[in-house]
Amino acid sequence: MEKFVALLASGIALGAVLAVAAFGFLLLYKATGVINFAHGDLITLGGYVALWAIVDIGLPSVLGYLLALVIMFGVGVLIERIAYAPLRRRPPMSVVIATLAAAIVIRGLIAVWQGSTPKSLPTPVGNRTVHIFGAPVSQQRIVIIVISAIAVVALLLAFQRTAFGRQLRALAADPETAKLQGVRTRLIAVVAFGLSALLAGLAGILVSPLASLDLDFGFSLMISAFAAAVLGGFGSLGGVVLGAVVIGLVQQLLGGYVFTTYQTTLPFVLMLAVLAVRPQGLIVLKRSRL
Amino acid sequence: MSETTVEAPVPAADERDSRWTRLGRRTVRPPIYAEHQYLVVIGFVVLVALVAPHIATSRSKQFLIDLWLVYAIAGIGFYWVFALAGRFAFCQTFMMTLGGFMSAWVTRSGHGKPFLLGVASAIAITSLLAFVVGIIARRSQELYFAIATLAVTSIGADVFNHWDAFSGRNGTVTNVASPKLFGHAFLKDKQVFWLFLGALTIVLLLAVLIERSPFRRDAIASRDNLLVARLTGVAAGRHQLVLFILGSALGGLSGSMYAHWAGNVSTGTFGIDLAIGIFLMLFLGGVGSMWGPVLGAAFYVAIPQVLSNIQKYSSIVYGALLLVVVMALPRGLVGLAQDGSRVVKDQVRKARRKDIVDVAG
Repeated sequence: MEKFVALLASGIALGAVLAVAAFGFLLLYKATGVINFAHGDLITLGGYVALWAIVDIGLPSVLGYLLALVIMFGVGVLIERIAYAPLRRRPPMSVVIATLAAAIVIRGLIAVWQGSTPKSLPTPVGNRTVHIFGAPVSQQRIVIIVISAIAVVALLLAFQRTAFGRQLRALAADPETAKLQGVRTRLIAVVAFGLSALLAGLAGILVSPLASLDLDFGFSLMISAFAAAVLGGFGSLGGVVLGAVVIGLVQQLLGGYVFTTYQTTLPFVLMLAVLAVRPQGLIVLKRSRL
Repeated sequence: MSETTVEAPVPAADERDSRWTRLGRRTVRPPIYAEHQYLVVIGFVVLVALVAPHIATSRSKQFLIDLWLVYAIAGIGFYWVFALAGRFAFCQTFMMTLGGFMSAWVTRSGHGKPFLLGVASAIAITSLLAFVVGIIARRSQELYFAIATLAVTSIGADVFNHWDAFSGRNGTVTNVASPKLFGHAFLKDKQVFWLFLGALTIVLLLAVLIERSPFRRDAIASRDNLLVARLTGVAAGRHQLVLFILGSALGGLSGSMYAHWAGNVSTGTFGIDLAIGIFLMLFLGGVGSMWGPVLGAAFYVAIPQVLSNIQKYSSIVYGALLLVVVMALPRGLVGLAQDGSRVVKDQVRKARRKDIVDVAG
């Protein structure tokens, strides 16, 4: 029972982080049609920027996190300006290659800036634990679940209720018609890149206190987030949240009890299975596109 | 493709007068045959054989030349998968790793099988795996395929790290037997060069075979417009699968060669930097030609040599270069060369016409 509760908590926490990460690149995909292969390195960068703000500048951790998120938004906008805006009229493949280039540049910059020794990000809750049904659960996991839930709900509300959200959904549903109706695609692209990078950064900040921060940190998280998106049908944001939680639970529960050696491999196997059987995803919501 | 009849070529408008009128009197050959590709391959190999020993003045330079040959082979495979089949595959480096481990496993002291069998097994296992992955992801187009192959690569890395009996402790195998062919061992980089050049020659000849075949045309049709290709009766899925298998097999060959040459192979040998590096090779060289990855691989290994004080920043330079190439040179260096030669030809033709006009006038 204790083990089950502990695994359940870490599964949900992992799912929550994956949901935030997957939201980030799905948002961008919906707004611009670009799959950003630099997303993983943006996750890593988010962790390192927060580390820099807290350790090197000496800000209190929450302020440091906020500063890191603002910087990440700026990084996203910068990527849009450098790697996306000049390629707007090119085939989508060129843009994807450009995001690969961005990925390797970000990775190289982090290596030069921070070195390749693993580091750990401080958190206000430290490594304290709470006991739920007798099982020790790290407080950071509770923080992850709460913050991710707030972020996800806030985003979903924003997509439904704000003008930006409506324009984004219009773009996702039918880009041509949306443009004809006067949706400002350029502005939306800039904001989407910024927001996407911010969400990547948030995912990185949330999870890096639990793991050691190194260059490959974001990469596996990104692929797991891809898996969540594929599971959720690559369309609906609600489906992605479900997909992310399923991935998190499968990895922690199935990995915790049965395949202990290949725990981190499980999401990828699950994703391949889904692609083989139902390429349109397990969860297909008929109505909402976003 | 059972029919062997060849359609009459439609020459460019300005060539029509000279060629079209004479069609009845001579055999019709596909325009691509006029490029003398087999001769170009032979010329290229001879040139490399003559020039490379002069460039290889030091051990490190010889090493880089050998590395170029290895990467060129993997690059041609990736050209088939990415450029011809239009499959956004992320698993070429994984295929190289798998090929290396497989070959090392077959030839290790306990099994003691010869080098050639190791290479053959590497090609076989990567083909088989590509077949399986291709079948699993047969309905996944474009980015879904990219994500699927990314997953395969991640799964592979995990398996290699844990499966000690096959891929050694912590995914590292050392003491891989050096290449040995017909009783002759290739121990030094200088000797290995000739072996690798021979392998590249075979691969280039195979590549030319594909370049000249209707298969390539059908594959490109499937890549550019899947729906139309299918409606015209092209077995698009099969073309993509076959090219994916062939390309991955070259990855296996390349990885196997590297493992025997370097004497070791690990999960980090062909890491994420090389995964993106292969894209750089293809784009820098040019996606439109089989010579693109060969040229691109040469630049890829030469860049750190030329800019020797950027070692620390090499990945930043590679990334920035990839970005610049995608923006400014979408058809790569080979495309640039083709444009250049076309401009020259046009000028020559214009000049000739002018002469004729001058004489006539």
